[in-house]
Amino acid sequence: MAVAEVDGLTFTYPGADEPAVRDVSLSIETGEVILLLGASGSGKSTLLRALAGLVPHFHGGRFSGRVRVSGRDTRTCRPADLVGTVASVFQDPEDQVVLTRVLAEVSFGLENLGVAPPWIVPRAVRALGRVGIAQLSERPVAELSGGELQRVCLASALALEPELLLLDEPTSQLDPDGAEGFLEQAVELGTTVVLSEQRPERALRLASRVVFLENGRVLLDAPADEACAWLARRRPAWIVRAEPPHEVRGAEVVCSLREVSFSYERARPVLEHFNFDLRRGEVVALRGPNGSGKTTAAKLVAGLMTPDSGVVERSGRAALLLQDPGRYVTRDRAEAEVAVGIGGDRVRARDALAAIGLAHKAASHPRDLSSGERERLALAAVLATQPDVVVLDEPTRGVDPERKRALAAQLRMEAPSRGTLVITHDVSFARAVADRIVTFQKGSDPVKGLTLVREEAVA
Amino acid sequence: MRSGPALALLAAAVTAALLAHHTASVAAIALVLGVVCLRAPRARRWPYLVGTAVSAVTLFVVTPFVETLGSHPLWSGPIIPVIGPLDVTREELASAALNASRLAAVGLAFAAYALLVDHDRVLAAAAFARRSVLAVALATRIVPTLERDAAGLVESLRGRGVEVEGIRRRAALVSPLLAGSLERGLNLAEAMEARGYGRPGRTRTRRPGWSLADECALVAAALLVAVGAIWL
Repeated sequence: MAVAEVDGLTFTYPGADEPAVRDVSLSIETGEVILLLGASGSGKSTLLRALAGLVPHFHGGRFSGRVRVSGRDTRTCRPADLVGTVASVFQDPEDQVVLTRVLAEVSFGLENLGVAPPWIVPRAVRALGRVGIAQLSERPVAELSGGELQRVCLASALALEPELLLLDEPTSQLDPDGAEGFLEQAVELGTTVVLSEQRPERALRLASRVVFLENGRVLLDAPADEACAWLARRRPAWIVRAEPPHEVRGAEVVCSLREVSFSYERARPVLEHFNFDLRRGEVVALRGPNGSGKTTAAKLVAGLMTPDSGVVERSGRAALLLQDPGRYVTRDRAEAEVAVGIGGDRVRARDALAAIGLAHKAASHPRDLSSGERERLALAAVLATQPDVVVLDEPTRGVDPERKRALAAQLRMEAPSRGTLVITHDVSFARAVADRIVTFQKGSDPVKGLTLVREEAVA
Repeated sequence: MRSGPALALLAAAVTAALLAHHTASVAAIALVLGVVCLRAPRARRWPYLVGTAVSAVTLFVVTPFVETLGSHPLWSGPIIPVIGPLDVTREELASAALNASRLAAVGLAFAAYALLVDHDRVLAAAAFARRSVLAVALATRIVPTLERDAAGLVESLRGRGVEVEGIRRRAALVSPLLAGSLERGLNLAEAMEARGYGRPGRTRTRRPGWSLADECALVAAALLVAVGAIWL
């Protein structure tokens, strides 16, 4: 039986020239796990929002065709009325959290749904238990890590016991283990799931069906096995690991950390006696679970923070790409944003945008870009400064596999001119771009929470 | 103590400060509220305390120049069109001190609400005007959110070798900060709609019963208002 049916959907956002989705037709059967794939801006998020009724009710715009969820036409049924049938988890958990404590947050949707008061807390607690965070129920959401917060959002959706669960890149902030667990939990619940992902390896193993979108159109709609074969043939970047083109390693050390220790709170060191060398010409990937100290190390390397003890030495200029692309929106044109770090040189800024595939967006407002495009804009803004040491913290978040491959190639091509440190949860990207991988692990001492370090060369 | 009675106590302190006529009484209320605010973590409380102090001091400085009151001049200045004589009298200083203390009390009560009261429980306790209570709870978050966003913007610029120093460069961040908070607000509104907010037939979680401390706090709040109106 079909939980949802999309029939000839075409939708254009207000002020946009081109439709975000064009003539999309799908039938979603009960129990299916559908993986939506496609480049940034291909219409995945729009399709998910159409299934939730948010398109067109919340966004406005021109809507044609029909979307029916559990027999109800979304044109005549408000998104709030679909709650209980549909539940959504969006990409950025921080923008979804309404209340300040975990249990209240998970209960919020149940209260809106009109669940009888004696059942609200038990259902919320059960949902928290299903995603493995029952122990966090009384914690303030402000104290949670990104991964924990994402699980709270999933619990909030599951508490509604929906027939259709919509997940829009829900693992973009999670480390590989966390992402794997998150997706497995979502799939094991037996609910019908429609999921969009930019790291498709795990999701492809769990999905029963794959829909590939390109420029708003459905290019492929097939069972997972067939889809894997199609991807390998037609879109290999989505499924085949790129081999790292190992280049020469330079000898000059451009950044050196010696016996570096750092803590945010006294008696809880994040790094202790950390030693690290970055040479010109090499690309080093830094991996590890959420909260293991990777970003702290990145800021120390880039000179944004000073260690409590130890020595950090750099030769030349350092630049850092932060995780959140929302921080690269200080100007009203993309090229002006890139030009901020290079003394307002618009010509160099346009070159940097072209190198990252955003030349056509030079005049756009950064806030009008998709999340993947914003990520690339931020990257262009950092690389344009031509640093001797560049630190990139999660440069592939929200970036599709074909862009990732292009980015890896660009970083390799430019590697000889600098030392590059890439922090990433993306294993295949790390292997595609790095000469060596440094892995951080959380220490076994829960009080000290110290970071342990393991290093491997990329074979 | 439950959030409802705590909120009632804070509201009573504000009402008493606004009703009281003696500067010392209002200053004492502000002092007590300031001590309460010190229970919040240092990193979170400073924007509220600095904001309140700057506002109160500004009001104290400006009031004597814009108010025309009293007959005991301490300093006489020129006559400015629209504003009038730019003199300072003893009565104007007293009035400025009273108003500044009141503003400090209101600011510190808001700080205590923002920093120490559990907004979820206030919302759960609200028997009516729940939308307004939720709107206030969400608006209260704007201070720490803006602070975090501002730190993020500064960090992103430093990561590109651009130091943000001086009033002009900092002021240039105001516009992106406001645009960012609008965007965040839109995203939150979408998420709330997707979670059924605004749907008729809303219920609410069962609340635990009132404790003796809660009842005492409500009585104390009523007494504080009465004392503020009559004796302070």
